[in-house]
Amino acid sequence: MKPEFFGILRSPVLWLALVFTAVLPLWLPSYYLHMATLALVYVGFAYAWNIVGGLTGQVSLAHSLFVGIGAMLASALLLRLGINMWVGMLIAALVSGMAGAVIAWVDYRFRLGHLSFALITLAFAEVGELVVLGWDFLGGASGLYLPKDQGNLQSFQFGGSSGYFWFLMLLAVLALGVNLAILNSPLGFFLRAIRGNEGAAQAVGVNVLRNKMLAMAISAVLCSLIGTAYARYLTFADPYLLASPNLTIEIVLLATIGGVSSAFGPLVGAGLLIPIGEMLRGHFGSMLPGLHYFIYGLLLVVVIIALPQGLAPAFSRLYRRFSN
Amino acid sequence: MIEIESLVAGYGQVPVLHDVSLKVAQGELVGLLGANNAGKSTLINCLSGTVRPRQGRIRFKGEDITNLAPHKIVDLGMIQVPEGRLVFPQMSIRDNLMLGGISARARKQRRQRLEQVLETFPRLQERLDQHAGTLSGGEQQMLAIGRGMMAGAEVLMLDEPSLGLSPLFVQYIFETIAKMHRMGLTILLVEQNSSLTFRHASRCYVLEQGRVAIDGPTEVVRNHPATRKAYLGM
Repeated sequence: MKPEFFGILRSPVLWLALVFTAVLPLWLPSYYLHMATLALVYVGFAYAWNIVGGLTGQVSLAHSLFVGIGAMLASALLLRLGINMWVGMLIAALVSGMAGAVIAWVDYRFRLGHLSFALITLAFAEVGELVVLGWDFLGGASGLYLPKDQGNLQSFQFGGSSGYFWFLMLLAVLALGVNLAILNSPLGFFLRAIRGNEGAAQAVGVNVLRNKMLAMAISAVLCSLIGTAYARYLTFADPYLLASPNLTIEIVLLATIGGVSSAFGPLVGAGLLIPIGEMLRGHFGSMLPGLHYFIYGLLLVVVIIALPQGLAPAFSRLYRRFSN
Repeated sequence: MIEIESLVAGYGQVPVLHDVSLKVAQGELVGLLGANNAGKSTLINCLSGTVRPRQGRIRFKGEDITNLAPHKIVDLGMIQVPEGRLVFPQMSIRDNLMLGGISARARKQRRQRLEQVLETFPRLQERLDQHAGTLSGGEQQMLAIGRGMMAGAEVLMLDEPSLGLSPLFVQYIFETIAKMHRMGLTILLVEQNSSLTFRHASRCYVLEQGRVAIDGPTEVVRNHPATRKAYLGM
């Protein structure tokens, strides 16, 4: 591990931000707490995706598959077979990790280019959604309603919105930590090489297959863990939300707008855009049908055109300018 | 050191190499010549494991490496410097060089080798923390060769090192190749620049449409009527 990793861990800004986020449930009204919880879910998803999309440079559109496995499989194991949701979460994560590794193997075996990789991963996501919709065990089209939360932690119940906020915050921090750890480890070095030039990486002896499989599996496991927690938070495993390829598009958008080349891009992207989207819905949703979507879309277009590298690098430049 | 027997390879349905056999002895500098699409790069890619042959055998120091993964071939000490340099543009020159020394056999001597590379290519020393993408074509070629040196190569397979470089840089790169050869490195040089290859190689192979058309000591290949016609316009 590079010393920079421990430098970031020692940063007072990081710890202040964590403490500030952790105390939010103590004073935030329930609507805004829900918004913050959603933001954490998407921060986690965006960081998980960033391992493949940002660090390895492969635009994966398969990530709704992993979220779907985490949400639908863990819920189905609980409701159909009575398997504790903690255990279900781990089983689903294992299945997601294996699915991720298989997708990475297919990519390597058939030497897929960027466009083919995006399309193949999208096909995996579509197949995943179709399987969920067509298989009653996983809830089919009507989804799965989870039992009412009674605050029993052993049964994966966190006793209300504050509990879910803290658990999802833990998962988002885990996803951020994994990103930072990979960035500052030999795996990150190899993934950057693969992103820079796969042919050259192979020529210098980087084990491209192993590193790609590892990156995809780690990313899939993280998505799956957050997917399980998200479904439990919503108390409803909705296939049209949690297994839909639209979810991946949202994740890719948030990570990209935040800045895929930056360690804090997914945090900035999801941390800002999810609350903004929710606020726009709150303020403009009832004025004119679709107006909030229009404004949100317009905002995204402006950001993409004005800041093609993403928000985080722009904030970082601003910070440097002011600190100088 | 390297023995290729009756190699057949291609991409998808398109055959490129037909029954190619070739040998490189330890300490030799062997030239592999041929026009565009003759199959030179495919042959070198088969040697480095990035293209899987359909038939035939490749042996390195007596060991069959025909279907070995590319990183395992690097571990054995067969290093390819790919055509078009292929550096990592967003990484610093230092990181590019360090990546050259990631194999198990090279890791222990990375620092020493880095010094050697920087001694061989002082221009890289001045720009160690600069992004590789900002280097000129010639400097990128130095970096690509330096990366190969970092791997502690026993055999260096250079794919068109003169491609797209100014005559001055070509001269410099070939002098460096000759120097590495004098230091005992085995080199397989894939080139279109026949005059420079003839000057440095002890033996040559000429590929034509995926087959070995001519092979032998450099003098024999150079004076072969077909070579003179194809390369020297005589």
